[in-house]
Amino acid sequence: MKFRDKTFKNIAITVLVVILFFGVSILVEKYFNTYVPIPAILTLGVFVVSIITKGYVYGIVASMISVLALNYAFTFPYFKFNFTIPENLVSAVVMLIITSISSTLITKVRRAEVLKVESEKEKLRANLLRAVSHDLRTPLTTIYGSSAGIADNFDSLDKDAIIELAQGIKEDSQWLITMVENLLSVTKINGQGVSIKKTPIMLEELIDTTLVKFKSKHSDVEVEIDIPDEFMFIPMDAMLIGQVIMNILENAIRHGGGTTRIVIKVRSIGDRAVFEISNNGNGIPKDIIDKIFTGYYEKKDKPVDSREGMGIGLSVCHSIIKAHGGDISAENLKPKGCCFRFWLSLEANEDEC
Amino acid sequence: MSAKHKILIVEDEKNIRNLVKTILKANGYQVFDATNGSTGIIMFNSHCPDLIILDLGLPDVDGIDFIKEIRMESQTPIIVLSARHKEGDKVSALDLGANDYVTKPFGMEELLARVRATLRNNLIKESGGEFKGVKFTVDNLTIDYDKRRVLIDGTEIHLTQTEYNIVEYLSIHSGRVLTYSDIVKKIWGFSDSGSIKKLQVNMANIRKKLSEKPGENRYITNELGVGYRMNSDDD
Repeated sequence: MKFRDKTFKNIAITVLVVILFFGVSILVEKYFNTYVPIPAILTLGVFVVSIITKGYVYGIVASMISVLALNYAFTFPYFKFNFTIPENLVSAVVMLIITSISSTLITKVRRAEVLKVESEKEKLRANLLRAVSHDLRTPLTTIYGSSAGIADNFDSLDKDAIIELAQGIKEDSQWLITMVENLLSVTKINGQGVSIKKTPIMLEELIDTTLVKFKSKHSDVEVEIDIPDEFMFIPMDAMLIGQVIMNILENAIRHGGGTTRIVIKVRSIGDRAVFEISNNGNGIPKDIIDKIFTGYYEKKDKPVDSREGMGIGLSVCHSIIKAHGGDISAENLKPKGCCFRFWLSLEANEDEC
Repeated sequence: MSAKHKILIVEDEKNIRNLVKTILKANGYQVFDATNGSTGIIMFNSHCPDLIILDLGLPDVDGIDFIKEIRMESQTPIIVLSARHKEGDKVSALDLGANDYVTKPFGMEELLARVRATLRNNLIKESGGEFKGVKFTVDNLTIDYDKRRVLIDGTEIHLTQTEYNIVEYLSIHSGRVLTYSDIVKKIWGFSDSGSIKKLQVNMANIRKKLSEKPGENRYITNELGVGYRMNSDDD
């Protein structure tokens, strides 16, 4: 159904453009009384077709029609097909070659763009894999070691030692849960191509659910909510956007350096819902502020710490927001702290591409 | 606890089964376990448990079919264990008659709270479900079913008829998550495409009137994409 619609659309565009440029050619011929610019105008038409339509077939078809039209209407004998005159034949062949090459070229450029997007996704996946295999080892060592320690030496351990080991297992497995949730989100995006199933979600409920989850882990941080009084329904995959907010909040705690207060502000601006999540921590170091969304980065001046893997949290945010058709950015605030800003479209337009 | 409640666990993962079994036993429940659906049914028939904890991903039968089979003959409460990313499964399990769900990975306190709330709810149901002269309280909120009034710290909160009906319905099943479609059917009697939105707007107004702030989670918990749950004091 969709495929047929697209084919029909492309054919319609091709026909319309060719007719338009044919018409222009006739007008030019009429007013300037010359045939000289006609081949150039028709070539331009083929160019336009190649740019607007998808796939090189339409460009080549348009090029053939134009060659026929040129031969029929604008070369001697007029309004008759005649390929026996050598000069007509030459101009027809040359025009066919030029237009075919150009439409193939345009298609190639377009393919390269698609490949670039693909390779960026591939990069994110590779970064994640690297981060995961690198970062899973530390918590797994703790969990395995501590639990084996308790199971094997129960009698020789005192109560405090057991509680301490169990606490370590609890913390590290909580960290693993966060990691796995991020991975799940990424497979959800990559697995289904770019099509995300959006349903209208009430802003208040999204914030509420995310905050309840956040506060169960970090009850000591003050979170202020600043959302409009009127009800906002935003089309989204609620689990994924909840993950974005959660990652930004956790990032503020883990890397914010002394964050004690976080403000979540949401406004509807035009057809966009703009989210701003700011904290009063130490801000983002200047040397990595451009890189925090693009993938896993290593802090060279610090010893390897398993918690650094949260760097992937922000690249997950980036890909989730991009997959929703929105954008995300970060900036440092004065005198201190930083602000993460992202927007989502308010239009319930599911048929994006 | 005078007579021990009997709980049946149907879960194929050995470690999760052991964990749940150990913690439930430590909290004074009598526990039976089954590693697959068919054994689960046999255990159910021979032991008549008060509650079933069911993993949706079983090796032999679909957890959803298991619920259907149990519900054909019995109203024994069922708590479902489900994976996080399968929202649809949760909703269909609840709509088919499961009483509650816990998402993996879960904390044991959460599971214990669900178990307590579900057993208590079932007790109310078995005692006839009449609420004459009964009051519901959670935190500082009180619902007077006779006078159809909602009070916070003794001060009446003015709710519309619909809003009161929703709050009442949630409170009768406190501690249990009710799906959007369940509430909509109960309150308006029918459901159409806009009714979930209508419910969400009503809920937002209720929360505002109860002056409940996002993330506070005092009276009503939001189960995003699934439904709502009225908290209960022993949660």
